[in-house]
Amino acid sequence: MKDITIGKYYSVDSLIHRLDPRVKLVVTLIYVISLLFMRNAYMYLVAAVVLMIYIKLSNVPIIYIVKGTKGIIVFLLFTVILQILTVKGADVLFKWKFISITRTGVYSGVFLFVRLILIIVGSSMMTYTTTPNELTDGLEKLLSWMKKLGVPVHEIAMIMSIALRFIPLLSSELDRIMKAQTARGIDFSEGNIFERLKKLLPIIIPLFVSAIRRSNELALAMDARCYHGGEGRTKMKPLQYSRRDYIAYIILLLYLVFLILLKKMLHLSVLSGV
Amino acid sequence: MNNELSKASTYNFERYIYMAFIDIKNLVFEYFRRDDEGNVEEMVEALSDISIDIEQGDFIAIVGKNGSGKSTLAKQINALLTPSEGAVIVDGMDTENEELRLSIRKTAGMVFQNPDNQIIGSMVEEDVAFGPENLGFSKEKIWNQVDVALNMAEIQEYRKNNPNNLSGGQKQRVAIAGVLAMEPKCIIFDESTAMLDPGSRKRILKTAKLLNKEKGITIIWITHHMNEVIEADKVFVMKQGKLVLQGTPKQIFEEENVIYDCGLMLPVLYQYIKFLSGQGLLSKEDVYDIESDEDLIDFLVNKYGINGTKTAKVGAVKADSKNNNDMDAIIQHRDYNPAEGLLLDNVSYIYNKGFAGEIKALNNVNLHIGNGEFVAVIGSTGSGKSTLMQHLNGLLFPDDGNVYYKGKDVADKDFPLKKLRQKVGLVFQYPEYQLFAETVEQDVAFGPLNMDISKVEANKRAYSAIEAVGLPDTIYDAAPLSLSGGQKRRVAIAGVLAMGPEYLVLDEPTAGLDPVSAKQLLDMLKHLQIEQKITIVMVSHSMEEVSEYADRIVFLKHGEVIIDGESSYVYSSDLLPKSYYSNLPLGVKILRRLKEAGVDVDISKHKKEDVFMELCGIA
Repeated sequence: MKDITIGKYYSVDSLIHRLDPRVKLVVTLIYVISLLFMRNAYMYLVAAVVLMIYIKLSNVPIIYIVKGTKGIIVFLLFTVILQILTVKGADVLFKWKFISITRTGVYSGVFLFVRLILIIVGSSMMTYTTTPNELTDGLEKLLSWMKKLGVPVHEIAMIMSIALRFIPLLSSELDRIMKAQTARGIDFSEGNIFERLKKLLPIIIPLFVSAIRRSNELALAMDARCYHGGEGRTKMKPLQYSRRDYIAYIILLLYLVFLILLKKMLHLSVLSGV
Repeated sequence: MNNELSKASTYNFERYIYMAFIDIKNLVFEYFRRDDEGNVEEMVEALSDISIDIEQGDFIAIVGKNGSGKSTLAKQINALLTPSEGAVIVDGMDTENEELRLSIRKTAGMVFQNPDNQIIGSMVEEDVAFGPENLGFSKEKIWNQVDVALNMAEIQEYRKNNPNNLSGGQKQRVAIAGVLAMEPKCIIFDESTAMLDPGSRKRILKTAKLLNKEKGITIIWITHHMNEVIEADKVFVMKQGKLVLQGTPKQIFEEENVIYDCGLMLPVLYQYIKFLSGQGLLSKEDVYDIESDEDLIDFLVNKYGINGTKTAKVGAVKADSKNNNDMDAIIQHRDYNPAEGLLLDNVSYIYNKGFAGEIKALNNVNLHIGNGEFVAVIGSTGSGKSTLMQHLNGLLFPDDGNVYYKGKDVADKDFPLKKLRQKVGLVFQYPEYQLFAETVEQDVAFGPLNMDISKVEANKRAYSAIEAVGLPDTIYDAAPLSLSGGQKRRVAIAGVLAMGPEYLVLDEPTAGLDPVSAKQLLDMLKHLQIEQKITIVMVSHSMEEVSEYADRIVFLKHGEVIIDGESSYVYSSDLLPKSYYSNLPLGVKILRRLKEAGVDVDISKHKKEDVFMELCGIA
């Protein structure tokens, strides 16, 4: 569990770290959406290069990101293999009994893989470079118009930031409980599925009890520090756009324009048979 | 008209004169205990008729065992709870007045027990700003307050860190800064040191004293460790929701029986003072001047010392000026049979191997643990104690070197790990957090049932384990979570004992327990060692505890065994470096200093009773 570093804030100073979280939220959202509209290798190349530059500017070591993504690579490969096996085309590369692999399938599988990797790395760059507090501040401010519709934006943001803070705590607690029950002779590798599920009880129950105990104590501690909702609350680090944030928005716009032009160009070149 | 006016002003005047900073009058607090359906089962009187005055600038201690109501009382002071009857007035504000609640909490801040569960922010400075933000301070004021608070709590160098990466002591400093940033007049420390190691404990207490002395902040210190209250202005002792004693520390320490009756113990210093006075080695006037361990040692050396080293400052027997960091290892040679017991042969273990942040948790550890020993493993946080423990029953395997159980390598493919885990029972820190079953009986029988034996046999073992930890048979059907802290811990230990281990490995088994529960637990472990021939391996922070119970001491530093030998051998070794001296138990310190001063005492003695016997002969 501890090896999963994906989404864990990486504490260094960088241009990206200093950007307004709202900018990063919008950039991430637009970037992910742009990936969904990509249809060919050139565009993915552009997206990948842009992401590499973004990572470089963020000072987050690439090896750290690779390590963080390692944990979910199995799921990715599984999805990709499924894609390769299920997408059918005319151009059959390989056939064995009912399994057939087509060129279209392979292409779509590879594209899917690249797309998912870019989405995962792209969106985790958000959390690598933004503290949970900034992130929730950004969300709270971006969504503040929803307050008028009666959505408790502040409360949701607070819940999110507390959840983000307690996930690592609960994860190491889970580790400890599992070890303790292993020491009491529980063996997770034997038994059928029902027996194994039953073995989760000695782990889940203490974890829940602990989470409830922690939340009780945290609520008291928040009360003791005069927390009383978002009303009249000020900020140590109020969000304020600076020049670099506007520049970032402009770059985002240029990226979009460039992609659209590229798509048009490629479309034309396909039509003209180049 | 005129008359009425003057009456009113007199009234205010009187209020002004007679109202203490914190004025608790006839406070009663009751709550209803409900059963599963929400029906009232009984009414619990958590606090009954408590009256306390606390003056601005006082350092007040409230002591009592777990469940005595001391934390409930603390929560009344900052309006986290409000009185059922009576009143609590803080700086002229009634806690029942809801409009004043924020001002009251700003005036009286609170540092809680668990360092993890009171930090809201994901960066130290952002967490410290949480209070000021809630109070609606301007941005400039928040930054200013945060800077000042971080400095006062001596945590400024970590301001950009993630609290999760800090030690327990550092996290408590963050919590203190978080309170200070609200400019409180009073800080309540609600057992804030209970989960810390002795070094951090001392530092937090020192910070509190400093805030009290230099900033005039009223401190309310809640604890069950009597040695933390020695320097308080006034001590209140609680038992079952009632105030049973109050007075200066020295007045309180006179009432030893009452203190013991409340589940507490005299500070070790006063246990010595009491004994020495009883023996006529200290007069009443002498006692008056003794305020600290060093005072007592200096006094004894000056009065009973023989040669000219009387004035020598605190130091070890060996007069060298060695660097603290390179001490010679003190390893007592022991003959052992490698085909028996647990043997760690050149064991190294590395976390995050091959990545940045690689930590060598164990470095060439050689250790043989034979049958029937009581071994204490000591060392500061991060010295590799927990990693070592997990090697003993195959939860972790060495990266380098081997672990042998009865001469067989536990990393071998065909080694029966399940059997090892049965024979070497591991009790983690705060083991009660792992209880899960509906009844005590089911929980304790869980381990045996995993060993493929019949339910009847498993229950039989559970019963004898529950008996072995000193719990009554009426507890079988109780829900584990409804028990007291000390009982829960015993149930958890019974759960491991029920597997029939030859070795019982415990990580800080007394952490968080009140002194009497802690002593009972240690007595029980000693009993298991002697009566049932179970080998005890205990990780501990408390040198007093270790000197009293352990036959052998293993000291770990940066993953290496620095000291390994029988207690008497270790305590009388002249290799002990100066840096280690302050960690020694008081009795050992006294004997060593007397020996230095030419008095004929046996410095291999370390148990309190034995030290007492030695001291009888010094006059």
